[in-house]
Amino acid sequence: MSKVSTLADAVASISSESHVALSGFATARCTMAFAHEVIRQGVKKLTVSQCVGAMDADILVGAGAVDRIVYGGGSRGRTGQHHCINRAIEQRTLATEEFSSLSMTFRYLAGSLGLPFIPIRSLNGSDILKDLEEKTPPLVARLQDPFTGEEWLVLKPLIPDVAVIQVQVADEEGNAWILGPRWDNEEQVKASKRTIVITEQLVSTETIRRHPERTLVHGFRVSHVVHLPFSAHPSSVYGVYDFDHEHIDLFAKASKTPEGLKEYLDKYVYGVKDHWEYLEKVGGMKTLDELRADPILGY
Amino acid sequence: MTTDFEYSSFELMAVAGARELKDGEIVGVGLGLPVISSFLAKRTHAPNATILFELGVVDPEPLTVAVHGLSDPRIWYRAKIHTSFADMLGTVLHKGLIDVGFLGALEVDAYGNLNTTLLGDPKGKFRRFTGSGGGNDIASCARRTVVTIRHEARKLNEAVSFITSPGYLHGGDEREKSGLMGAPSRVITDKAIFDFDPQSKRMRLKSIHPNTTLEDVLDNMSFKPIIPDNLPVTEPPTAEQVRLIREEIDPENAYAGS
Repeated sequence: MSKVSTLADAVASISSESHVALSGFATARCTMAFAHEVIRQGVKKLTVSQCVGAMDADILVGAGAVDRIVYGGGSRGRTGQHHCINRAIEQRTLATEEFSSLSMTFRYLAGSLGLPFIPIRSLNGSDILKDLEEKTPPLVARLQDPFTGEEWLVLKPLIPDVAVIQVQVADEEGNAWILGPRWDNEEQVKASKRTIVITEQLVSTETIRRHPERTLVHGFRVSHVVHLPFSAHPSSVYGVYDFDHEHIDLFAKASKTPEGLKEYLDKYVYGVKDHWEYLEKVGGMKTLDELRADPILGY
Repeated sequence: MTTDFEYSSFELMAVAGARELKDGEIVGVGLGLPVISSFLAKRTHAPNATILFELGVVDPEPLTVAVHGLSDPRIWYRAKIHTSFADMLGTVLHKGLIDVGFLGALEVDAYGNLNTTLLGDPKGKFRRFTGSGGGNDIASCARRTVVTIRHEARKLNEAVSFITSPGYLHGGDEREKSGLMGAPSRVITDKAIFDFDPQSKRMRLKSIHPNTTLEDVLDNMSFKPIIPDNLPVTEPPTAEQVRLIREEIDPENAYAGS
């Protein structure tokens, strides 16, 4: 069954107050076109989760679409901090449930396996755990290993309403490949109630059947397939295009202040009617062609 | 101890970090100086070491280390495995297979606790930074943790303002009793190398770098480490180690300032 839809229709399926897991990691495979459309449609009060904070979550927080972030910290690496997220935390306008990369992964993993909780060594002794212990309803607890008697920290599973995953290749049913490292994406998809796949390339199911071992996102978990080239711009998609250094710099500078961010949103998000207009505005085919990945290097 | 060639404090730190890795070990690497140290170790005394990046990259051989971060595909090039957090931090780290965790930090304290989360008062006015990423997990589970940090009084405090990644907590046997595996092993700065007292678990000077004095080391930190009676000078880099860093590993000089 074809689940191919427009980005606008896929975003319209997400109600305010939903919990959305996003596939971005810092500046790689961020769900940017999706985030822009969420902002344009005015979806609000989202809970956003991901292992490591990425540009997709940052712009959604900056635009006021997010009430709560569940994540393991993160930055844009050497291009700086996620200013929107950090500013919202400092000003206490964003509820946070802050973990680490592995504890987030374990929470998704528990969700994906239908387990009631999952034990972990991480977080013990840290102030991350102290902060989490103050949350109600509780997200962490302690229990005794029934086999050894050892005491363990246990985490509550994470079950997002929808995972939004940026992939290289998918068919119309949503069977998809994620090429390159995939951080928490597989567990996000499997923990979530449904998945929206945003793909650079739409291929036939014959192509999927030819390489079934590559199918990381199972079509039966997917509600919408959106075929949209360069939809992670300015972040990178391994093997397809590199990140856009100049545009990331431009966003980094703009997002340092609420005023700068507003100008950015007015120009690149509210000021365009869809992703195609956005691509023209960031330089069009000439810029995008320069970003195309070398087939061997992957960037 | 002198050499007949010049080297920077960054190069000395990178070499000191490399010396902490043994051949055949599995090392979890954070971005920055630990990347240079790990690649240097692989090209010298530890060719069979396995380098892991938390997001799912094993043993890459990048053409350049001048990258934006772990999410920059340049640093994934020629990896043997592309996989996931669940694999790297789960089936490798959490299972206890990582020998050395290599981390940078914003602030470290007398018991090796690391802060990468915030500066200021978490209940009052503060500035937020990166948070954990995989840092907490590596510090919680790696057999030995090696930390590299700039030697500045504001970065070396008696107690960190937020424990992002646990060291020995408040010292003694507190870490052992807390459900964590492994332990902090070294703190490498641009002035000295520290280890930890086996009983109190307080940071202890292990060696001070050439061209530095004990007074300079102590004046630029905000707590007093344990000072052993016998305090050697850190072994300087060899000409070959410096050449490898400059000509092969980081010819663009991408990390000299980090």
